[in-house]
Amino acid sequence: MTDDPATIKAQALADYGAYSNPMKLRTLRHAGLEIIEGRREGALTWDVTGKEYIDCITSAGSMNVGRRNPEVIAALKDALDRYDIGVFLLGSGPKAALARKLAEITPGNLKLTMFGVGGGEANDFAIKLARGSTLRTEIVTTVNCYHGHTGLALSGIGRDAYRRPFDPLVPGFKLVPFNDLAAAAAAIGESTAAIMVEPIQGEGGIHVGTDDYLRGLRRLCDERGALLIFDEVQTGWCRTGRMFASEYSGVVPDIMTLAKSMGGGIYPISATVFTEELGEFLITNPFIHLSTFGGSDLGCIVALKAIEIMERERLWEAALARGAQFRAGFDQLLVRHGEILKEHRGRGLMMGLQFTSSSHGPRMAQQLAHNGVMAMYTGNEPSVMRLMPSLVISKAQVETVLQALDRSMQTIKEQDAGTAVVVDAAPAATRRRRPERV
Amino acid sequence: MATQQEITAALADFRDRCNENARLRKMQRDWTKVLHLIAEDNDSRHTMTVVGGETRKVEEGLVGTPDIIVTTGSETLCDMFWGDLNPAQKYLSGELKLKASQEDVMRLDAINLIIWPD
Repeated sequence: MTDDPATIKAQALADYGAYSNPMKLRTLRHAGLEIIEGRREGALTWDVTGKEYIDCITSAGSMNVGRRNPEVIAALKDALDRYDIGVFLLGSGPKAALARKLAEITPGNLKLTMFGVGGGEANDFAIKLARGSTLRTEIVTTVNCYHGHTGLALSGIGRDAYRRPFDPLVPGFKLVPFNDLAAAAAAIGESTAAIMVEPIQGEGGIHVGTDDYLRGLRRLCDERGALLIFDEVQTGWCRTGRMFASEYSGVVPDIMTLAKSMGGGIYPISATVFTEELGEFLITNPFIHLSTFGGSDLGCIVALKAIEIMERERLWEAALARGAQFRAGFDQLLVRHGEILKEHRGRGLMMGLQFTSSSHGPRMAQQLAHNGVMAMYTGNEPSVMRLMPSLVISKAQVETVLQALDRSMQTIKEQDAGTAVVVDAAPAATRRRRPERV
Repeated sequence: MATQQEITAALADFRDRCNENARLRKMQRDWTKVLHLIAEDNDSRHTMTVVGGETRKVEEGLVGTPDIIVTTGSETLCDMFWGDLNPAQKYLSGELKLKASQEDVMRLDAINLIIWPD
């Protein structure tokens, strides 16, 4: 065993490549994210070698209360003295308390909760519930949407490349363009069980669903007997400046799915929250969805603590204030780097920078990492850099991110103009050579 | 500056190495693409046709409708297909431009990984 950080890192990377996912590691390396995390705290994370980064990935918004929030950790440690995951068939105090809390804080008449482990599972159950409740089969989703990689959710995903290797998937899914009410109107018919949307598309490139669009979907669903599902897995938990992003529109869905920051960045847990009316389906099918680890006692305790912190600290206000600071900086970046930066989008601290080329996503990720900011382009749209820092990010840290963005864009422009000094990686020993160079 | 003939030779070598690599052929068996390769510093133009993971044709000139367009300097093209340099470095420095879907960019890098491991 060694305590040399560089050796520890090299070994971890080698093992990850050898025993987990070599191509993922390679992609991360290209993006400058060949990082093995060590210490993590608040808005920051450190590579084991000591390099500090402001974390603007946060596992797509899973650390809203900050990384390793000490209160969440204390709650978990305390819970470990008395609890384990619990028996999934049974009710429990933590499960009941969290379900009650979710009924209190989610909008309108959302009341009942089915727990799960991750966002994909929450969306899977939402689809099950929609089909089971309406006795209709069709699920409408939107182009470039992302609802997870599990079976039903994958069938509705808006990116062909995720689905194609597994065809045929579950039938009955229909894709329509996002923010296009006319397309939704044409798609929602007598056989439509539900339309499922993210109030802000995350993986799709940080596209904000307009209030009119979400209200229009509600009206269409009411007129045609379909259900409205809001996937708030990324947008929830104060991220956008409200507890839930759909609050901007005032629209109450029939089903809302929640995950990510619900677990305080510490423990996996998700929830599908739905109306009492839809709960009728569970009267006749109480064991229709079982999840061994879903809604574990430990997870529920962690979630309750995370929610307590969000409410007490009014983290939606922090998201709005720091988001406004970012946007003012983005406006200046647009002036300075309009050749490559097209626009910025988002709400609160769910932010996307639209660049002019799909190569800019990986290149920006690489440059930002070099400048001490961990960020990644969106999965379904690589020309968009997604910035989703912890909501506890400070004013000074926002300024640091903006400066890093400025430097990174400047470097890319200099590279494109051929004025940057580029240092190529040395060719690997196994590479071939042009005959005259052998 | 590399000549058209030099790039053709590099591509022929690359084609053979890809086709001889059973692991790569199996991995790419669902990949059928037309690639246009454009040298921006001379008139060199090539088309590579991949069918079911097999590189069927490498020909001079631009033929057919491309799924992927690679544009860079002739030296880079030549070095890349001989394996003298890692194209990812050139892509990330903006010297190599790709018009392709994200999935196809990933596939190209996968070929690179298999043919010329890190």
